[in-house]
Amino acid sequence: MKAINLFITLLILAVLSCGQKDSPKFITEKNQSNIITFRIQFKIGSIHDPVGKEGLNSLTALTLSEGGSKQRSYEDIKKALYPMAATFTSNPDKEVTTFEANCHVDSLDSFYAIMMSLLTSPRFDSSDFQRNRELMVNQIKNTLRNNDDENLGKKTLETELYRNHPYGHIDEGTVKGLESITLDDVRNYYAQHYGRNNVVIGLAGNYPDQIRKKLSDDFAKMPVVTAEIKPLPQPEKIQDLEVTIVQKEAFATAISMGFPIEVNRSNPDFYPLLLVNAYLGEHRNSSGILYQRIREKRGMNYGDYSYVENFIQEPGTRLVSPNIPRRQQFFSIWIRPVVHHNALFAMRCALYELNKLVDKELTQEQLDVAKTFIINYSKLFIQTQSRRLGFELDSDWYGTEFYIDKIEKELKKVTLDQVNAAIKKHLQGKNLKIAIITNDAEGVKNILLNNTPTSITYPSAKPEQNILDEDKIVEAYPLNINKEKLKIVKTDELF
Amino acid sequence: MKSKTKTRLTIAALVTFSVMLFLMSTDRVAKKNIFPYEMQQFELDNGLKVVAVPYDSPGILAYYTIVRTGSRNEVEPGKSGFAHFFEHVMFRGTEKYPADVYNKEMQLLGADFNASTDDDWTRYYQVLPSSGLEKIIDIESNRFQNLKYTEQAFKTEAGAILGEYSKSISNPFLAMFERIQELAFTKHTYGHTTIGYLQDIKDMPNQYAYSLEFYDRWYRPENCTVLVVGDFNYEQLQKLITQYYSGWKRRDYKQDIPVEPEQTSERRSQIKWKSPTFPILMTGYKTGGFSVQAKDYAALDILGSYVFGETSALYKELVLDKQWVEFINFINMDRRDPNLFFVYSRIKDEKNMTSVEQSIDAALEKAKNEVMSEDQLKAIKSRLKYSFAMGLDNPDRVASTLGNYINLTGDPNAVNELYARYDEITVQDIQAVAKQYFDAKRRTVVTLTYQAK
Repeated sequence: MKAINLFITLLILAVLSCGQKDSPKFITEKNQSNIITFRIQFKIGSIHDPVGKEGLNSLTALTLSEGGSKQRSYEDIKKALYPMAATFTSNPDKEVTTFEANCHVDSLDSFYAIMMSLLTSPRFDSSDFQRNRELMVNQIKNTLRNNDDENLGKKTLETELYRNHPYGHIDEGTVKGLESITLDDVRNYYAQHYGRNNVVIGLAGNYPDQIRKKLSDDFAKMPVVTAEIKPLPQPEKIQDLEVTIVQKEAFATAISMGFPIEVNRSNPDFYPLLLVNAYLGEHRNSSGILYQRIREKRGMNYGDYSYVENFIQEPGTRLVSPNIPRRQQFFSIWIRPVVHHNALFAMRCALYELNKLVDKELTQEQLDVAKTFIINYSKLFIQTQSRRLGFELDSDWYGTEFYIDKIEKELKKVTLDQVNAAIKKHLQGKNLKIAIITNDAEGVKNILLNNTPTSITYPSAKPEQNILDEDKIVEAYPLNINKEKLKIVKTDELF
Repeated sequence: MKSKTKTRLTIAALVTFSVMLFLMSTDRVAKKNIFPYEMQQFELDNGLKVVAVPYDSPGILAYYTIVRTGSRNEVEPGKSGFAHFFEHVMFRGTEKYPADVYNKEMQLLGADFNASTDDDWTRYYQVLPSSGLEKIIDIESNRFQNLKYTEQAFKTEAGAILGEYSKSISNPFLAMFERIQELAFTKHTYGHTTIGYLQDIKDMPNQYAYSLEFYDRWYRPENCTVLVVGDFNYEQLQKLITQYYSGWKRRDYKQDIPVEPEQTSERRSQIKWKSPTFPILMTGYKTGGFSVQAKDYAALDILGSYVFGETSALYKELVLDKQWVEFINFINMDRRDPNLFFVYSRIKDEKNMTSVEQSIDAALEKAKNEVMSEDQLKAIKSRLKYSFAMGLDNPDRVASTLGNYINLTGDPNAVNELYARYDEITVQDIQAVAKQYFDAKRRTVVTLTYQAK
């Protein structure tokens, strides 16, 4: 009799669960950890920023994570969270906005109440709004435009790659957009986009079962919103080398270059490209060809890397951050600052190596090394519970099996022919957008327009003869500049 | 390779274990060590110390080599930044493992590897599959004993250092640290930053002979500790370390680090920055250096949270209510010799710079004149302990945390001692260090403001 009752009860629960329209999706990992991790992801991003209000998505997220709730002020919340050492942060991106929280199981009940109040009944205090908006404006106006040349190069490139496209402004927004945003804009954006049908809830750790149910119940109280996934147009076609030169007070020249590609993690060709990238320029890794040739052999800068998807380094690691998924991705090369007089040689060198890769392809030995490396290295992506949960969410977003498992599975079966075919299909070294941060924009422009050779000056020792021989090719490496698209901008014209 | 299933289990298991033990330490036995893992230690005849921490991270380990030498040891004129430069040179290879072979081996291991240098120490680390234990011991022991690089390779690496400087110099904080350290320390080598002065960096290609001497002085077993955290067999580790490192010869090089004379008056400087920025105010108060024997360092840490932390009255005044500053924070420097307690703030409008400084002074005066509440002290202690426990969530972080205490004192148990000191701190201790250290004559103040050309 008891068994029958239990069966009926379970059935009713299942029906209720199925019958709950637009209920949130859960990704959970119950384990023995006494640290509880939440990754709560809303399927909204900077692509939803209204025209003229660029930055609204990010500012709304920041106002939730760094603001108060209807029940408690921001100051009170800070005081309550302080002894727990619990963390609650927002990570807005182009397509999704993820809130990450970590707390000890001892404080779970108190923390949970605060977290949910912030997410479901935000205070929208004008003082919190003002503080956060000023923070974001300053981040662009002062830090990004003027005091962080590496990121300036990367963000300029990204903006250029996606001109007239929903990805075409940085996630943080624009100064003009942010300055035009009002508290009512934030309030309305929240009301229109934060809903139970638009959220994926990641939960990991040794959480009590009732927390899972509470999450379900609490999110069920959120409204149903219009969860529109905007179709994305194709990015502008690039013709030859389209260069944006940023004039600023710069100690050295920072360069980023790239082009959109048609694959992301859901596409089988993405995985061969991971191998190609490991060979060419894995992030912060000294084995890539770009690093070897530009830094190691020639001592030109601190490092040179390549990417086959948007890459943001997770602070405190050298690994890619989870929860920055995108339907459209881009290939890029990052040349860290080079002394001005050698900068265009470094740029030519990167183009030379890229074209060499496209023309000559990988060898079996190079492929084998890259395979072993990535299969092993990718295991380090999930060293923490939080990162693991993040990649679980990403895999769900891309509609694939767990990313780290998929890497191993795909790489084990990929052949040299497939890798080289993927290179031919997706990579090229002729049509790129390039961002150059320099203190001599006119000088750079003249060199580019005239295709003037740019030799390298070694401050002391010269490298071995084969590199010196190669220097002769690199210094005159033809730059097929798109003269109509070449432009000089000042930093305050950006973002 | 280990199976995927094992990788999946790793995170949960290691975090749980850490926190469970932490709870035992706080809830059941008040004096129990904060560091929740067993530490196994041994020392070779040549003086090389080995610290091994078994940690539930199936198939993964972190392998650290700690060299207790940093920019503090750059006593000769013109050699600022050399310890950091030499860290780069250590990747230039040996006869057995030339640089390209080293890189390939790391690739095949799937290792995350790098190194970093600070004032007092240099650390080399790899996070890798446990199956690579012998290979990494072979490779690392080889380069620490048999580094061999050409003068040409040495000079080429100097270019990379200039590149590292170049990537950082657009950030005004590097300029501020350069200035405040130079002003605060007239004799001691803490007077220059770890990356060094630009003129010394530019001269590095000419220092090949000195680099050989530097290696010979400091890359010696008695100055190093190998720290292994993660999934390994301890007996095998002992055997392999003994096998590969026993031939390393000790030197026992001694060096006098200049002693900084007592500061007797306030020092100030102003930086005019050429790029737009909010003004920055940075103050450094002379302190007594890291110690777990005395209470001062621990008390200053707590005082910092009390006066400048996110729940402080000053934070409320400047960040939340008046919104004059973007942020205000502190760093109680943990260094082997007396260093600084930094207070820094980015101010939204230059006209409020003086008022912000006055508010900081007033908050410190209050800490001298009034004791903090017991509740505030309790909250800060709670945060310190939970932060510590939550930070130990993978082998690399455990090694990085423990490595710093090995650097500071030579003894990994210093971490337990420090947290024992935190436990002992009273509200009166906080008041006492406020009175002792936050005197205007002990401070150096640097401001940075934008000045268009």
